[in-house]
Amino acid sequence: MAEIALSTAPAHLRHGSNSGQPLTRRDGLLKVTGAARFAADHHPPGLLHAVIAASTIARGRVVSLDLAAAMAHPGVVAVMTPAHKPPLAADPDAKTNPFMFRLDLLQNDRVRYAGQPIAVVIAETLEAATEGAALLAPRYQREPARVGFEDATVFTPPAVGVGSPAEVVVGDVAAELAAARLRIEATYETPAQYHNPIEPHAIVAAWDGEKLSVDTPSQGLAMARARIAGLFGIPAENIEIRSPFLGGGFGCKGMLSGPQVLGIMAARLVGWPVKLVLRREQMFGPVGHRAPSRQTLRLGAEAGGRLRALDHHTLTASSTFDDFFEPASNASHTLYASPALRSAHEAVRLDTGTPLFMRAPGEATGSIALESAIDEMAAACAMDPLAFRLENYAEVEPISGKPFSSKALRECYARGAERFGWTARPLAPGAMRDEAGLLVGWGVGTATFPALMFQGQARAVIRADGTGLIECGAQDMGQGAWTALAQIGADGLGLDLEQVEFRAGSSDLPDAGIAGGSAHTATAGMAIHAAGADAIGRLAALATGDERSALFGAGNAGVIARAGRLYRRDDETRSERYADILARAGLFEIDGRGSGAADPVALARYAMHAHGAVFAEVKIDPEFGQIRVSRLVGAFAAGRLVNPRLVRSQYYGGMIWGVSFALHERAVVDPRSGRVMNANLAEYRVPVNADVPSLEAILVEEEDPHVNALGIKGVGEIAITGSAGAIANAIWHATGRRLRRFPVTLEQVAGVAG
Amino acid sequence: MYAFAYQKPATVAEAVKLLSADPEAKALAGGMTYIPVLKQRLARPSAVVDLSGLGLAGIGVSGGVVTIGAMTTHAAVAASAEVRRAIPALAALAGGIGDNEVRHRGTIGGSLANDDPTADYPAAVLALGATLRTDRRTIAADGYFQGMFTTALEPGEIITAVAFPVPEKAGYAKFPNPASRYAMVGVFVARGPQGVRVAVTGAGQGGVFRHTAMEKALEKSWSADALAGVATPAEGLNADLHGSAEYRAHLVGVMARRALAAAG
Repeated sequence: MAEIALSTAPAHLRHGSNSGQPLTRRDGLLKVTGAARFAADHHPPGLLHAVIAASTIARGRVVSLDLAAAMAHPGVVAVMTPAHKPPLAADPDAKTNPFMFRLDLLQNDRVRYAGQPIAVVIAETLEAATEGAALLAPRYQREPARVGFEDATVFTPPAVGVGSPAEVVVGDVAAELAAARLRIEATYETPAQYHNPIEPHAIVAAWDGEKLSVDTPSQGLAMARARIAGLFGIPAENIEIRSPFLGGGFGCKGMLSGPQVLGIMAARLVGWPVKLVLRREQMFGPVGHRAPSRQTLRLGAEAGGRLRALDHHTLTASSTFDDFFEPASNASHTLYASPALRSAHEAVRLDTGTPLFMRAPGEATGSIALESAIDEMAAACAMDPLAFRLENYAEVEPISGKPFSSKALRECYARGAERFGWTARPLAPGAMRDEAGLLVGWGVGTATFPALMFQGQARAVIRADGTGLIECGAQDMGQGAWTALAQIGADGLGLDLEQVEFRAGSSDLPDAGIAGGSAHTATAGMAIHAAGADAIGRLAALATGDERSALFGAGNAGVIARAGRLYRRDDETRSERYADILARAGLFEIDGRGSGAADPVALARYAMHAHGAVFAEVKIDPEFGQIRVSRLVGAFAAGRLVNPRLVRSQYYGGMIWGVSFALHERAVVDPRSGRVMNANLAEYRVPVNADVPSLEAILVEEEDPHVNALGIKGVGEIAITGSAGAIANAIWHATGRRLRRFPVTLEQVAGVAG
Repeated sequence: MYAFAYQKPATVAEAVKLLSADPEAKALAGGMTYIPVLKQRLARPSAVVDLSGLGLAGIGVSGGVVTIGAMTTHAAVAASAEVRRAIPALAALAGGIGDNEVRHRGTIGGSLANDDPTADYPAAVLALGATLRTDRRTIAADGYFQGMFTTALEPGEIITAVAFPVPEKAGYAKFPNPASRYAMVGVFVARGPQGVRVAVTGAGQGGVFRHTAMEKALEKSWSADALAGVATPAEGLNADLHGSAEYRAHLVGVMARRALAAAG
């Protein structure tokens, strides 16, 4: 095969027409005109509507349901209950791998959290199904709900996150703390948060015998298909899931959720297509959340600011029936050099739905505590917080001692600080006011997120007319996969973007891996890149082995693919069009396959992370305690950027999420009932435009030769980290008060009880 | 959705008859609270009696009194040149209720009959010493508000108009809930024929109340400085996920000073 030296001359470096271009979203027009069809937009003939009846208690049993009343309501077709449901081939409580989470599929009358589905009413109209669900008027045998850390037994989980050890220790923390000139200890609390994408979980399911057709948003099509296949005992090939667009995911659409399966069960039960869409308040329970945390950090430092010990302990919570432990302390693994370092986790079990991956799971939660504690230590050392961070800059990954595959964090600090005007910052808090009398404070936080890759496949085709096709079951949650992956595909095939058809978002395409962990562009991108190279390689073999070709005999020199032609690498006057090569070979098309996955050798040798620095300005009304983030400047380095416009948008979104984490989001649970009291978007607050007046994201160049051949790290989650802490630190700088319970509320800032 | 009867009488007498005859029937004014209540199944009336056909909307000023028909919308009050001239604080209050949609549907009579503890109008009615006219009598503001969602209205009694004496000075300031624009705390201060009156909405567990300590202080000196030493105890104030009782007590002082500044 002809030489396509991927790692030394990646396709996208050969010309600049695709990757690296700030193209607008290719699906943008569909979305702004309403032509993009999301899952709930589908209305197959004969469609019935399903509505979940959800538990209003958090723990106990359902004693009775008024089935007669529901069935008597005009339009109601069926009520699915534990006693009346289609059989499943697998126990919803079975767990055979860490990515399989237990589901509530009406397997019994037990209630294990508020909002758990206890019945599903299927009717001819949404209104009738809604009324039918209300008429069920469940009676319960209620047990006391365990809602807070104090209500349950603390234990050490066997693992946190995905298979990370609960405790990791480097050096002697106790000895270094004892020897340190300065010490701080502080405890920070973060609340339960719920993902709340604007598109709720929705499904339209239709059975045709043993074949199943599904429209539902999914961040992981192949895993969802395997889960359905297992639950219903049918071959995966019998299932087609279409998920061309997601109205946000943030992790809660990563694994198939219980309500989505209930929609499929309802369709099976009644023998008609069924649509099931969660109401907003139903998003607070069965589809995952970010668990609350109580984090205690102990730091020791020399007088000059050099850290000697960093001890990060997290108490978090999972459900009573499944395991997901937010790995918050692991945020301290990578950023600050310290001779002694410990991350530890403990947990309780509460009567909630199982917490799950929520945008930057662990990293976001741990970052706000770590960045606050670092700031407190800097203040204890009477040092500028940026200078303190630079004093403790990690030249190798602190937890492992490995070198970084690339790390342009110093550049991020410098660029961000310059843009923000950081050098004008007074060291002492409470020293700045604006012309309106508002307190002003400036804070900084460091951002970091691992450069992950999962496993994915793709197919690339070159057609007789010289155009290309990329097939890849990738998922676009709004981040821009339709665009960025197509750009990579066009480069991989040596074609312009307009010449490449890009197919994604469906389970009949090659498994592109999950759109999560900020790993999708790297994983699916590498699969697409490799598939393109494979197709080009096959095409090149046709040409270089054919004496009628201008490229005959170029096998050793190699060829370059560009603008629909293959060029001899050492003599570009010799070239041939793709279409001509295929025509002479009598081929309709030629295809290639590729896969993307992390390189285990590189993984063993290098620590791989994206980095960034975020600078925040807050303005505080001293009378109200009202906090406004008046400026946010972030500078991030995340390897090569396929589409700078989309990357900037991801950074903006992450930084806004940081505002939300620091100041807004909080699920409040009623201790009496175990119910979330603010299960709506009026009271579960998220930022609006007025909350985020000025955002700047600086794209810091970074070349990484080790993460993958394309040099791509992830950008989807990093900007939450650093941002939330920078805001918390700015609040301290404005007021002189260190507030450690998040989100920071008006009453905390106003200094009155709350 | 469950079924209920809908009636739209043409006269006040007919409406009163319908409501009096059926204790499960309920009056509908603008519906800005009542429709959500129905949707959330917090109420299940046998019949909804729509008051929009009774001709109760309208604004008039005479003899130092601004009279506003019960079915007058917030938007109409806010835009009324007569109200803006006579009691600018009242027009400003109406213009700050809810959002644009709510202001074009919601009515003064509906708001007062509902007596939400975080509604704006009760503060104006109490501080200005207004009089409520109903199908059968007049009720002074001081006797009207009787606790959270509780008023002096009898079953079947319908507010027809509210009469506000024109004050010398009046001002209102509220700290709005960012989502609903209901008052976390709203303070209405007024000086007029009935002396100095200060009414606080949003804060009290029992709904709107008069802040007599502030009234005494302002009687002596109509100035923000006079309020400096006046404490507002947190006892009896609302606490919820938007703010603690202590925070609301703190806000009462802040909003009173701002209301005073607005009054001039």
